[in-house]
Amino acid sequence: MTKNLLITRPNYDLPTTYLFSWSKLVIKCAYQKGFRIVDLPNGKSNETDFAGRVNKTDPSFIFFNGHGSKSVVTGHNGEVLVSDKKNLDLLRGRVIFSRSCSSAMKLGPKSISSGAKAFIGYKEPFIFILEPEKSSHPLSDKTAALFLEPSNQVAISLLKGHSSLEASKRAKNAFAKNIKKLLTSESKKEDSATLRYLFWDMKHQVCLGDATVI
Amino acid sequence: MRGKKFTTTEVSEAEIKKLVVERLKTLPSGKQISIGGEGSFTKEELIKRVKLGDKLGKKMIAVEIEFLRALKKGEFFNDQESSYHQT
Repeated sequence: MTKNLLITRPNYDLPTTYLFSWSKLVIKCAYQKGFRIVDLPNGKSNETDFAGRVNKTDPSFIFFNGHGSKSVVTGHNGEVLVSDKKNLDLLRGRVIFSRSCSSAMKLGPKSISSGAKAFIGYKEPFIFILEPEKSSHPLSDKTAALFLEPSNQVAISLLKGHSSLEASKRAKNAFAKNIKKLLTSESKKEDSATLRYLFWDMKHQVCLGDATVI
Repeated sequence: MRGKKFTTTEVSEAEIKKLVVERLKTLPSGKQISIGGEGSFTKEELIKRVKLGDKLGKKMIAVEIEFLRALKKGEFFNDQESSYHQT
């Protein structure tokens, strides 16, 4: 299959602004790895554009960023892109990474039973801590980096040719590395308070479907 | 000599809330906690929601309890890399 990446990057509130910015690192990696990239930033993360571009470009890998729920992934301004009742056919035959809350709970298994090769996502809300004064430059936010660098590892590992399970493992290892660093170093008390959320994200990230697919 | 009797008692919901509130107080001031579609919150706002006992407050309690259980089991000092791989 052609190496095509489709990435959704809504950008309309603080969390999506952070995901929007941190996903740029994944896009950069995709360029370096020779992927053809279909980027749906801001208002282009809508259902019509999403469905149209999936059908037209046949991406092997779809990376969702944005808000979600157990059975839904949304785009810009909360518009539903895929749900357990809508557009599931668009995921068939593809590897999915959904960086959105809780979508691995119902949408993930449903997508696999509908033919998606693999679905990596979170079974609970994806939680991260951010520094509001860095909101105009999210990539310089070192607190948010503790969370978003590890989750970026899922996508980056897939782009580098690792299997879906290996990509998920590498991301979990990156979370674990940050946890250990905060536990063992002389980190500030306030930094170590982030541990509970790093652990939460690491624990609730799952890889569904074919673990060996690349 | 008879040993002192220890009994286990159920921890009440109010006690759990109090524990979680105290733990949330250790969160850094001036930072926000992004909880997906629920929004972004200061620690003071999260404390208020835990006290209120709404859906978000209950989720925060779940996060804390899960973390404390992991601490109790010493999971952070085990081989985490292989402990949390779930397919």
